[in-house]
This record gives sequence, C-alpha cells and structure tokens, in this order.
Amino acid sequence: MISSARTLTGIALAVMALSVPVVAMAQEFQGPVRLVVPFAPGGTSDILARHIAPELSDAIGQPVIVENKAGAGGNIGADFVAKAQPNGHTLLLSDLTSLLTAPSIMDSVAYDIENDLSPVTMVSYSPYVLAIAKGLPHSSFDELVEYSLNNPGAISVATSGIGSNNHITTERLAQHFDIDWNIIAYRGGSDATRAVVSEESDMLLNGTTATLPFALNEQITPLAVTGESRLEELPEIPTFREMELPGELDGTYQGILVTAGSPDAIVERLNRELVTILSTPDMQEKIAQQGGQATPSESPEDLRVWLVEQKEELSIFIEEAGIAQ
Amino acid sequence: MELLDNLALGISVAFTLENLLYCALGVTIGMFIGVIPGVGHLAAISMLLPLTFYVPATTALVMLAGIYYGAQYGGSTAAILLNLPGTPSSAVVCLDGYPMAKQGRAGVALFMTTVASFVGSFITVLVLAAFAPPLANFAVAFNSADYFSMMLLGLVAAAILVQGSPVKGIAAVLFGLIFGMVGTDVSTGVQRYAFGLTFLYDGINIVAIAMGIFGVTEVIANVGKVSSAVTAQKITFRSLLPTRKDIKESIFPMLRGTGIGTGVGILPGTGTSIASFLAYAVEKKISKTPSKFGKGAIEGIAAPESANNASAQSAFIPTLTLGIPGDAVMALMLGALLIHGITPGPNVISDNPDLFWGLVVSFLIGNVLLLVLNIPMVGLWVRLLKVPYPILYPSIILFIAVGVYSINYSSMDIMMVAFFGVVGVMLLLLGFEPAPLLLGYILGPMIEENFRRTMLLNRGDMMVFLERPVSATFVAMTLMLLLWTAYSMIKSAKHKSIEQA
Repeated sequence: MISSARTLTGIALAVMALSVPVVAMAQEFQGPVRLVVPFAPGGTSDILARHIAPELSDAIGQPVIVENKAGAGGNIGADFVAKAQPNGHTLLLSDLTSLLTAPSIMDSVAYDIENDLSPVTMVSYSPYVLAIAKGLPHSSFDELVEYSLNNPGAISVATSGIGSNNHITTERLAQHFDIDWNIIAYRGGSDATRAVVSEESDMLLNGTTATLPFALNEQITPLAVTGESRLEELPEIPTFREMELPGELDGTYQGILVTAGSPDAIVERLNRELVTILSTPDMQEKIAQQGGQATPSESPEDLRVWLVEQKEELSIFIEEAGIAQ
Repeated sequence: MELLDNLALGISVAFTLENLLYCALGVTIGMFIGVIPGVGHLAAISMLLPLTFYVPATTALVMLAGIYYGAQYGGSTAAILLNLPGTPSSAVVCLDGYPMAKQGRAGVALFMTTVASFVGSFITVLVLAAFAPPLANFAVAFNSADYFSMMLLGLVAAAILVQGSPVKGIAAVLFGLIFGMVGTDVSTGVQRYAFGLTFLYDGINIVAIAMGIFGVTEVIANVGKVSSAVTAQKITFRSLLPTRKDIKESIFPMLRGTGIGTGVGILPGTGTSIASFLAYAVEKKISKTPSKFGKGAIEGIAAPESANNASAQSAFIPTLTLGIPGDAVMALMLGALLIHGITPGPNVISDNPDLFWGLVVSFLIGNVLLLVLNIPMVGLWVRLLKVPYPILYPSIILFIAVGVYSINYSSMDIMMVAFFGVVGVMLLLLGFEPAPLLLGYILGPMIEENFRRTMLLNRGDMMVFLERPVSATFVAMTLMLLLWTAYSMIKSAKHKSIEQA
C-alpha cells in the first residue's frame, strides 16, 4: 500500500513538474491553429485568410488551417470561435462591422463580441464606391442629392442586405440630407451590383473590388468614394471626406479575433506575428489587389478601443434610424 | 474569323501537359463526387482551393471548373440506381430513372444520362464560345419582374410533375413553399420560423431536404422488404446498351433540355435544379403519352439530365463575362481568380483572353473525357445493385451523413436530414410526392423575393409584369398552361360522365 501511495505521489509530482514548462512557454503554440472564416470560400475574408495562413504557420511553427463556417451573416462562425477552448488556437477572421451590427439586427445572437471574443489585430480596410446606373443623368453627388430631394422615393438604392454595412451607410447619408431613398435589399454585393448594372435599381454603395471594374468599364457611373484619399483608379472622383459627408471612413474592415480568456501571452504573440506579416510588401500587394489596404493594429488593445467606439456609434445610429427589428 | 483565332489561342493554352492533367484530375474528382450522395462539388472545390495557390490561374480554374461540371454527370447515378439524388438537381431523374432500374434497365438509363449529359454540356460550351458576351448582356437585362414571371411558370409547371392526385400534388408544393420560408427574410431582415435557432437563420439546407425526402425515405421504406435490388436479374453487356428506339426517343428531349438548361443557366441565381425540373415538365407536357412518365420514360431522364449539365456550363457565362457569380460555387471560382490577382469583371475576356479561351477549350476536352470515363463505369455501377441491402443501406446512410456534414461542417444538418427522412416516410405513407415539394421549396423563396422587390421598385404597380416583354411572355405561357390544364380536366371529366351514362 505504501509503495502504491508513493508511486501516486511520484506521478503527481512528475505531472506537476511536466506542467511547469507549459506555463512558462505559454506563448508557444501546442498544436494546429484553426483560422475560422465565417463566410463562404472565395469572399474577401476567405481570400485574406488563405493569404495569411501559410505565413502565420511559418511564423509559429504549427499548421494553420482555414475553416469556412458560413451562415447567418457571419454569426455561426463567430459563435463557434466564441465557444471554443480559450487557448488562443482558434482564430476568427471576419468582417468587423457585421460582427458589430449583428446584435442590433438579429433576434438572438448567442455570443457577445465584447465578452466572448478578444481582439488580436485589424487586417485590412477597403473603401466603398458610390455609383449610379448608367442611364441616370446626374454627373455629381450634389446633383443626385438635389434630384433625390425634389423627387422623394424616386431613386432606388441597392444594398447587399438589411443591416449590412453599406445599408447602414446609405441610411446615414439619407438621414444627413433628409432624403427619401427607396432601399432595396439584395442577396449580397454582387447581386446588388448586377441590379445597378442592369438599371433595375439606381444607386449603390459597395466595396471597391466588386464595383470598380464596372465603373472603369463605364457600365455604372461612380460619384464618390469613402476612405482617407481618392482612389488611384478614379482620380476624378471626390471622397466623402472632401464633401464632408457622414460615413467618410465607412467600408469593409477585416480583423482577427480569438476566443475570450485566451492567455495574454498567446494573444500578444499572435498580434506581433500578424503585424509583421501584414507589414511585408508582398502581403500589402496581395491586399491591394483586392482593393484594400493593410491596416494592422499596434496592439490588441488598439483594436479593442476601435471596436468599442464603433459599436457605440453603430448601435446609436441603428436605433435612431429604426433599422433594428 | 475571330472565333477561330480565339479557339486557336484556347487550344494552345488548354493542350499544355499541365492543363490537360489538371483538367483530367478535376473531372475525375467531380465524377466521383457527383456519384456519392450528399457530397457536393462546393465542399470539394473549397477543399481543393488552397491547392490552386501553387499553379497558374488558368490551370487552377480548369481543375475547379472540371469538378463542377464533372459532378453534374455523376449526380444521376445514385438517383437511377437507388432513388437517391447525388445532387439536388438530379432529384428529377429519380422520377423515371428509378422505375427504369426496377425494370432492369438501369444500364440503359445510366448510358443515356451520360450521353444526355455530354450532349447538354458540349452544345452549351459551343454556344458559350460563340455568343458569351451577347448572352451575358441578355442575362443582365433580366430583372426582378422577369425572374418572378419565370418562376411563376415554373411553379405552375410543378403541377405537371404530379403523378397521382392533383390535390395532393398542390398540397406538396405548398408544403415545400412553407419549408422555403424558413430563415432570414431578404427584404426585411426578419427571421421567420427560425425559433431563435441560429442554424435556421439561413433557411433549411437544400441538400438536407433532398437527401432526406428522397434518400433516407427510400432506405426506410425498403427496410425488410427484399434482400437486394436486382438479385434475379442477369447483367449482360447487351442489357446495358440502349436500343435504337431509346436513342430515337431521346434525341429531341436532349436538344430541348439543352436549350432550357442554357437559358436558365445564364441567369445568375437560378441554379441547375430549376433547369432540370422545367425540362422534365416540358417533356411531359408535350408528350403524346404523358402517362408513361413516372413509369420509366426515357425522355424523363434524357431531357432533365441535358438541362442540368447545360445550365452548369452556361452558368460560366455571367461569371466569366461579367464577374457576377450565379451561385456559391461560381463565387468560389471568382475567389480563386482574385487569389491569383485577376479581378473578375466585365473585362476578363479582353484582359485575359488566354484564361477565358483556355477554359472554354478545356471544357470541351473535359466533357469528352467525362464521356470516355463514364461509359465503362456504367457496368460497374449497375453491379452496385447486387450489393445486399444490409450492406448497401447502412453505407448509403453513412455517405449521406458525411456528405451533408461536409457542406457546412454542421452536425445540425445531419439532424435535418434525419428529420426530413421521417417527413418523407410520412408523405410516402399518405400518398404525397417528394418532387413537387422540393420544387416548391426551391421556387418559393425566389418568387417571393422577386415579387416583393418588383413591388418595391414599382410602387406596387402590378402592370409591370405585363409591360416588360420577357415577363409578359412568361405570364402568357403560365395562363395558357393553366387554361390547357383546366380544359383537359373538363374534357376528361365529360368523357367519364358520358362513359358512365
């Protein structure tokens, strides 16, 4: 009996001894890392994930596997990461605005972005292009506004879905000028683009990747862009900022988050590695090809502050505009 | 001849060793994926997408596209042999394919569906090569009102699919419409019939419904009945080949199916299922012997099979010429282009002619390969029927579970299949048919979405459906179909009453 008790004690001590290095090396990765994309393959988030995964894998010395868990506007994948083991091995790469608006738009969202997910870094930003159908006579945003004010409801605006960021930006513009636009929801950005190319709807605000080729091909008429500066491809088209419009920095923000409660050391390490990856000219070029720019966060805290600010602003607006159900 | 120059460019691209190999790889994977029930091309293409990082854009697309159209060939195999659609679009092939298998003509059915697939695909690729840009412009001009009227025609045509009681047929369509309503409403963002369950926010997965009400139902219904499907039948090489009569009866259905498939396929968002359902309805309506349908009519497999392959090929028209993806798989392929730094859009053909024409020529090569690969497989697949049920059926259930899981990596989808399996058994016992239900499920949400969008855009003015020529044509066809159906019902009722008198 004594010997077996001793053996047990020995085992217990050995286990404790073994666990010490694990604690000490908390910023080391212990196995494969899953990079969850809550949208279908081939979309912006997915392509970014597939560019980043091999680089991250080299940096941390573990395989990084991209997993698409699409559905419910990104909420199924986000919920999956929120409920994963909090060990920093399950990452979420998503459109950040859709994560922020979900609780205001949807009946029940099973996770809370502030408490169940923890920010790592922002990845990229892509501005929006505001364009109108080819058949419309307006040649500037001011003309469009004037026409819209004189003809309430005459201009129909295609959005990529109720509560999507481009819908909210559209509502914000309408509210700013007190315009009555006829908002038409489509199934995603490319469906909305098709609608304006076919002159079924009159106007849209949409991401540059999907919209720019049609603008350059003169199938739709661009009137304004969001973002810090004018687009290289559309040097004639003014920015929202120049025209002092609301939503000047609206667009698509992609970011990486991790399950809340993950060890700080791991999150710091992820932030460091990702910032390095996103700062390489090669990665910046890849992101630029998609119409975006790499915008890594200095620290996880930076992204947290940004998320809190955005969430506040969006939820106030959504409530005021009555978009919430 | 510009077209010949373009094709020459395409040939020079497609006939490199690398592209030929990837084409063969793609179509072979596609063929097997199509055969396995539930395992969809979407899952396969997303799994293989990272592989394409390491090859040029054209090569990547040649392979991914090969999986997509290759899967359309195999989809009907399980539908014919086991009443189990390998892809939702082949559900309609169950209607006549499975009765043919029961009559010992499984080999003939498989042979004809392969030929029909080839005819549908090949002709459509030629159409694509010759007319892609003008067809794409037509597709873009098609607006919500036109979509609505076309879907309306489809829904009325669903009544033609009904084999037994018309009342029960309509009930099945309505049942399908109700299932189609589950999920987030596009126009308002409100969740309907989701009961706060996140997995229902995007609606019920079509594969779960198709696998449940066709596949699982079939398995449950046959438990304990017989030991294997064709124990008594001898499989000879002769029994695998269609007769001259079979071929003669299939030629025009194939061509009509191809036409319907090409037309439907160029419209973004319609999908291959609608094409095959419409093609079947047309054949049954114009047939001199509509009573043959549902009992193993060869037209009933030739037309829809051509149509679904044709629409899978023509779906590349809006995707490649406009950068507007028709479905999730096409969106994925555009993603593959983006990864390679090619921005999809209206200029892809002029900016990357080698990509576009190389792909077109690879389609032709791929389809010839598929024909060559599939014909020898016919004998092998038919032998599958010799596998005893106690082994075959559990394997089918396993494949379905794996396949459905692979779509979203969601175990809830497997639960949904089980649920629809039970629903299917109840429908079977009560004499309702699964095909109209599936069609109602597919068309319902599209009809509603396009109707409401049209009303929003036109301030509730219904006249728009008659003012637009395309829409007006569909409305007129719908009315004619209704009148014709009513007329023939009255006529047959009169006949009966005269006979009784």
